[in-house]
Amino acid sequence: MEGHPYGYNIPISEKTKEVPWEEKVRVYEEVKSDFRFKEFLFGCLNCGVCTASCPSNRFFDYSPREIVQRFLEEDVEVIYDMMHEYIWACSQCFTCWIRCPFVNNPGGLVIIMREVAVRNAFEATKDLLKPYGRVLLKVMTTGNQLSADMLQPDFFPDWGPKMQDNMENIRAKRMAIPFDVGKSVKTAWEVSLETAIEMYTIWRETGIFEMLEKLDPNLYNVIMDIVEENEERWEELMEEEEEE
Amino acid sequence: MGHGKSPYLRYADPEPFPILNKHSHYDHLFEEMHELEEKGEILVYRITEENKPVEVFTRTGRIKTVPTAKLWHHKSCGQCGNIPGYPASIFWFMNKFGYDYLNEPHQTSCTAWNYHGSGTSNPVALAAVWLRNMHQAWKTGYYPLIHCGTSFGSYKETREQLIFNKELRDAVKPILKKLGRLTEDGRIVIPQEVVHYSEWVHAVRHKIAELYEKEGKAKGIDVSNVRVAIHNACHTWKMMADDYPYDPEVYNGQRPAASTAVVKALGAQVVDYSTWYDCCGFGFRHILTEREFTRSFAIQRKLKVIAEEIKADLIVTHDTGCTTTFEKNQWIGKAHGMYHPVAVMSDVMFAALACGAHPFKVVQLYWNCSNYEPLLEKMGITNWKELRKEWEDTVKHIAELEKEGKYDELMEFFKEYDLYEPYSRTSDGFKRRRSASADMPLFKS
Ligand code: SF4
Ligand code: SF4
Repeated sequence: MEGHPYGYNIPISEKTKEVPWEEKVRVYEEVKSDFRFKEFLFGCLNCGVCTASCPSNRFFDYSPREIVQRFLEEDVEVIYDMMHEYIWACSQCFTCWIRCPFVNNPGGLVIIMREVAVRNAFEATKDLLKPYGRVLLKVMTTGNQLSADMLQPDFFPDWGPKMQDNMENIRAKRMAIPFDVGKSVKTAWEVSLETAIEMYTIWRETGIFEMLEKLDPNLYNVIMDIVEENEERWEELMEEEEEE
Repeated sequence: MGHGKSPYLRYADPEPFPILNKHSHYDHLFEEMHELEEKGEILVYRITEENKPVEVFTRTGRIKTVPTAKLWHHKSCGQCGNIPGYPASIFWFMNKFGYDYLNEPHQTSCTAWNYHGSGTSNPVALAAVWLRNMHQAWKTGYYPLIHCGTSFGSYKETREQLIFNKELRDAVKPILKKLGRLTEDGRIVIPQEVVHYSEWVHAVRHKIAELYEKEGKAKGIDVSNVRVAIHNACHTWKMMADDYPYDPEVYNGQRPAASTAVVKALGAQVVDYSTWYDCCGFGFRHILTEREFTRSFAIQRKLKVIAEEIKADLIVTHDTGCTTTFEKNQWIGKAHGMYHPVAVMSDVMFAALACGAHPFKVVQLYWNCSNYEPLLEKMGITNWKELRKEWEDTVKHIAELEKEGKYDELMEFFKEYDLYEPYSRTSDGFKRRRSASADMPLFKS
């Protein structure tokens, strides 16, 4: 029979099978050693309440109970396999967390698994995250990630004809928002340069830039160009102000 | 009733409603927080009388202090970028009540999209981003009010992690030091309560209802026939579930109280439906790249159920993603004979409309893709077409001034037009050229 005997219905991928066992164990240990792991997993009745109330379970072949069970069984192979595509189905609603009688947090386990997948720059993760280039570019360079100019009607034809109207005369409409720092098309609100500079320091110090370089070198280069340009602009401004 | 030594942990006595969860690990953080404060490791940014505090209950019966005045607005990128009438309505109420507040550009988003959406962050980075924002609020003397549900949920979680994990505090401290974001004696700044705007709306709901009686009704507005379906956001009440208001007036304290309570205070009809518990289908990455999931879930589990079971006029939300998901995923249902048109907006937007705010200049319904027009008619805002024309003329006027390069005139125009001065009061006299994102003529120095 294809698949896992205990219900993980997706056959283990060939790619996962080819990965050396030690490598799978290393990744598994990376997940388990995260300080949040012990706060997200306590025990499991196998009651299925989490899966029954999971929105993603309704439309994807995805079950939070499976994730919890595989961790408790220390099923290194399945966990490694799940970390490629399976976990990306989770909607991060935490219905599982509020309902689990053991106060397990399967959505939280998914977060740890995703972060480890990203840090290890798995190919499947790279592909999955490709469409987020613009979101990442925005948030990492400006400090906020949803601006009016990201809502191109061509990209959202399914949102209907009113969407088209919304974007007409967008600059004037943004200016007509009657509070001050909202008047921007490129960002959700206007962020001060010194705030953005502080954020760049946070990305540097916490390994976020490094992670990004591994995940998407092209995006990393674009982001670093903007970061460096802004840092130079800040230095110039400081010098000018000192002279003044 | 006090609890141990910590001034931050108090329980209602007698219990305000039946309490199922009496042994909250989460509540314990308020004792730990006090201990860390006593040891001099952290500074707890306290809510004071200046903040005109109001007490509410959480589901464990804990008394949560909600500051209502002198607030530092931690804005939401999704709201500001995509539902601008959302923050505009919050500010509108602050102005109406004469509350002092600060809306400044020295703030980043929570960056939790990188947490829940793409997994491209980590707990140290998230903690540093949060603590930087909190330190900025503390420096200004204004208390942080978090507009976004996800920021709120994520910040509650980050605070819990920081309080219970020395390693995390040790990892984040040197970064904050580098940024100059510790107190002078080297402590990190942690707010006494993490507060969502919907909690603020909940705390001031009776004031809102008074304003409706006085000003909304005087304009002929009447919400008593409006049938409302409430959708509570997962990240406010399922994430760190022990830190969100419950109230005996709302399902006897067995469901989250914010939003429902204000709609009830206004006298509109809150109508229950079977899938109230479900999420909206937003899913972070799903709304962008798994859209068939988002729209299937939103339509089949929520919009269809709400239309068939209760024929609501309006879905009231209290977060960014849910509002977007419900209002943007209706029209597409036509393709499958599943079109269930219903107005969608947040509690504060609905409350502002009820109190007589301009539907386009303030509540910015122009951005809304759902059918809000029948709701306006039903509320008695029958002149909405004129109001819309008025707003469209304003937009045209601004566009023309910009095209002609008449920046001085633009500045003059905004002095009159804005809800407050065009150059916002900021903590340090912000200079426009010091903007990371200046893209409007108004921002030129
Ligand atoms: S957080 Fe993820 S696993 Fe948990 S219920 Fe929501 S979608 Fe399902
Ligand atoms: S709800 Fe909790 S105990 Fe039940 S199956 Fe899910 S993780 Fe296990």
